[in-house]
Amino acid sequence: MEKKGFMKIQMTARQRNDRIFAGALLLPSVLITVVFILIPVVDSVVKSFLDYEVRNIISGTPGEWNNFDNYIRLFRNGRLGMSIVNTLAFVVGVVVVQFLLGMALALILNSNIKFARFVRSIMMAPWVVPTIISGLIWMWLYQPQYGLLKYLIQIFTGGSVTDFAILNNPQTAMLGIAIAALWKQIPLTTLLLVSGLTNVSEDLLEAATIDGAGSVRKFFSITIPSIMSVIKITVSMSIIENFKQFPLFWTMTGGGPDNSTTTLAILSYREAFVSNNFGSGAAVTTIWMLLMIVVIFVYNRIFRNVDMN
Amino acid sequence: MKAKYKRILVGMLKYAILLVILLFLLFPLYWVLITSFKTNMEAYRFPPTMIPEAPTASSYVSLFTVDNFFFTYYINNFIVAGSTAVITLVLAIMSGYALSRFKIAWNRWIVAAFLSAQMFPIISRMISLYDLLGKIHLINTRAGLILALTAAMLPFTITLMASFFDGIPRELEEAAIVDGAGRIQTLLRIIMPLVKSGMVAVGIYAFLMTWDDYLHAVTLIQNDSLRTLSAGVALRYLGELSYDWSKVNTISVVGILPIMLIFFFFQKYMIKGLVAGAVKG
Amino acid sequence: MKKRVLALTMALTMAFLTACSGGGGQSGTAADTGGGESGGASAETGGNSAVDAEITEPVTIKFANYAVLEAGYDVYWNGLLEKFHEENPNITVELVTAPYGEIVNTIINMAGGGDKVDVIFGENDWIPTLVDAGLAAPVENVLSQELVADIYPNILEACSMDGVAYGVPMYISPFLMYYNKDLFEQAGLDPNSPPTTYDEMLEIAPKLAALTTEDGNQVYPFGLTTASVAVSGACLTSSVYNFGGTVLDEEGNLAIDQGFRDAVEMWKTLDDNGYNPQNSKLKDLRNLFALGQLAMYYDQSWGYNGISSINPDAESFIASAAPLKGGDGTGESVLQAGTLMVVDNGDAQKAAVAKLVDFIMSEEMLTEYFETVSPAYPARQSMADLEVIADSPILAGAADSVSNLKTVTFVPALSDLNLELCTLAQAVTVSGTDVDTAIADFETAARGILE
Repeated sequence: MEKKGFMKIQMTARQRNDRIFAGALLLPSVLITVVFILIPVVDSVVKSFLDYEVRNIISGTPGEWNNFDNYIRLFRNGRLGMSIVNTLAFVVGVVVVQFLLGMALALILNSNIKFARFVRSIMMAPWVVPTIISGLIWMWLYQPQYGLLKYLIQIFTGGSVTDFAILNNPQTAMLGIAIAALWKQIPLTTLLLVSGLTNVSEDLLEAATIDGAGSVRKFFSITIPSIMSVIKITVSMSIIENFKQFPLFWTMTGGGPDNSTTTLAILSYREAFVSNNFGSGAAVTTIWMLLMIVVIFVYNRIFRNVDMN
Repeated sequence: MKAKYKRILVGMLKYAILLVILLFLLFPLYWVLITSFKTNMEAYRFPPTMIPEAPTASSYVSLFTVDNFFFTYYINNFIVAGSTAVITLVLAIMSGYALSRFKIAWNRWIVAAFLSAQMFPIISRMISLYDLLGKIHLINTRAGLILALTAAMLPFTITLMASFFDGIPRELEEAAIVDGAGRIQTLLRIIMPLVKSGMVAVGIYAFLMTWDDYLHAVTLIQNDSLRTLSAGVALRYLGELSYDWSKVNTISVVGILPIMLIFFFFQKYMIKGLVAGAVKG
Repeated sequence: MKKRVLALTMALTMAFLTACSGGGGQSGTAADTGGGESGGASAETGGNSAVDAEITEPVTIKFANYAVLEAGYDVYWNGLLEKFHEENPNITVELVTAPYGEIVNTIINMAGGGDKVDVIFGENDWIPTLVDAGLAAPVENVLSQELVADIYPNILEACSMDGVAYGVPMYISPFLMYYNKDLFEQAGLDPNSPPTTYDEMLEIAPKLAALTTEDGNQVYPFGLTTASVAVSGACLTSSVYNFGGTVLDEEGNLAIDQGFRDAVEMWKTLDDNGYNPQNSKLKDLRNLFALGQLAMYYDQSWGYNGISSINPDAESFIASAAPLKGGDGTGESVLQAGTLMVVDNGDAQKAAVAKLVDFIMSEEMLTEYFETVSPAYPARQSMADLEVIADSPILAGAADSVSNLKTVTFVPALSDLNLELCTLAQAVTVSGTDVDTAIADFETAARGILE
């Protein structure tokens, strides 16, 4: 009886110490995250409700509450809706194509082909290219007068299209940026999917073959379900990354031509740093963040049944 | 017979798709490489030449002799990315371990905070961040930039690191504690050696992502001798006044090369680590 | 777990929604103080006693300059600063640098952190933003009276808001027309009589469009920049002025008139005929021009630096002409100026700034600039006969256009408005929108910016 009580006290003392230890380990990271990310983000949300411009920054005067005027103005001038559509189109397009191409490449690399290891290694090259430089590389390939793409299109269309400039046409500019984004991102997607595929149980697949299932059937009823958690992580990383994309747009088109590549990232930058209206810029980023939360929420809803383990 | 035929066809199709995707991924790099060896006048020719007609290393020579400020940016980028990677790694090990091992009440909220912090766009916090760093006199210093970048790296690396610790059986620690080892000792001597590949993955990941940074550097640094690569390249070669594609391509090559070497050198761990972390996520 | 992320984010958002609705009241007075401060300071320190004061104490001034690092400009600027330091060992010039598109933002952020620069080199278009921010100081409070009085009044006006000058142009240029004499000859045109009106230009354009370069590349007859950068908007404004049109009236309200419409029609005509390289930046046009693929285009005179760095032989075929006249217009254009803007940071700083600006604006340094970097027109009356410029074969053709300028009304949102003009140009060119719809869209967007 007495001994039992003693044990209990010992456990709680240890637990308390554990707690202090854990707290001490966590403290620096939590502090840095709160100070450098969460507080600035909250501060930005606050500013989105204020009349906050350059002169406020310089004179150090706080902004003035302006009755949602930043938001009202954004909704009224029509640029917001267009930017939301552009952002979503870019995210959905890139994420879907990236997944399909990544999956195709992953399946090929996972089937007993020659040089699979070598290919897996060199295909990662674009992933380590800095974004600014990848923008430069593609701008050079797309160059309207001397670009390689113009030349290739000219050859493949038998000379009927001689002035293809992907970033100069409002219909294709977004595609041009999406290709650059895909170029940089497909390698990582493929890599993660390949690793998922190597963990698919051979026994299950063999059993299915014995039962007479075709390869398509096996793919959908065994392979996909077994790598579902990998797919979920891969796709959500891709959604977040593309939602946040800014440097590619800014270096390659600056939002043009004719606003066809003006995403929420570009709009917020223009409002804040070109118009120098920080309140309005903050309103755009707030909407941007909310939209991202909604998308991730919907995404998680769809994948709700996937067991994370 | 028919099945065999089909198998050959599928095999060929497979290689064809592989070839197309690889071409898409690798040809642009080849193109940059050969453009860097062309003169500007040849680079501006149409149709373009697939192999430089009169290969010249003059862009490289002038980069290494005239444009030596480029190497300042370069060294700065190494200092900033390297320090960020090391600090991030240390903090990620500490926090990841804490999150994985000690299930205290606040854990879930802390994890939620880290996860949501990953989602916020950088632009949304730049103005406040500037203000903040200004107040603690870290604006226009490498230390300030490193801190800001570390903050950006932490959320993902901590969750990644935690997933590695999750993979290690608790019995090991309990045995160590029974043997009389302290908590810190246990972590340093027993647990950390088991997550080496995870540590390499986290370190390299943080390094690569920081190497890529543009917005932080362009906002937080105004002194040219402290500037990093992406910001410096944008400043010198993408301005309103300059137009030198062969130089730009040369810079791309020089900017990519070391990071690619590092990546290929550590690739084994990096891939193993990232994959293990993300898959367990 | 995901629910918690969501809950936390939402909670934070809500918490601060409430927090800020409480904090709104107190800010009004603070803003007033801020405005009063700068006004008071300028009234007090009028006159220029500071300028003549001997600088005995070491002083450090901060010079924000984007060009100091750009290839083709760095050698000149670094040499200048070295010489200045030799002559004025007590003054240390600390450089603040940032990419062209980022530097205004950098200066503002620095000032927000209590760290104000003393001199800014940049476009005169930046003045409205800097004044709005309360940064730029009237030049007469800082610079020597002699220098300010020497600037052509109409040029000083282009650096003024409400009659107060906030910058002195180091060099100026209208959007003039560069053309390629070799291409004119090849097309059977007189290389010494370039077109003077848009109609004349359209008449000769087919002949130029029929040409190809040695490599078989297409030749574009006429280049007008329309890509989404602020300077393109300035060039488009200039094109509107060519037609006698206006963008903003003197009060800064939108004033779209027939001249404006004519100009937009012209942009469309150029594009429909394939005369204009689509969606190009000025530097794209310089590149095409340098390689003999563009017969005529609008640029600032210093665009020549970009051209000659791509093709050193360009000097043999380049010539300039006054901007074209269109409709009822007289070919007026917009002044572009590499401008020095000053900030009031106390007497010691002001004296040092005045010394630096005097040095930059000295005949010796400007001559060197025009010789080694790029030709442009000086803004000082005393340098009207500067030999390098008077004898410049490159600028000779456009010499008169300096006197045919129209001032842009400065509004704080000028950069954004300029980007909107680019969008309008892109709408009628690459998007194929009809002129009326495009102008209507522009009006809506511009109103949103200006209000």
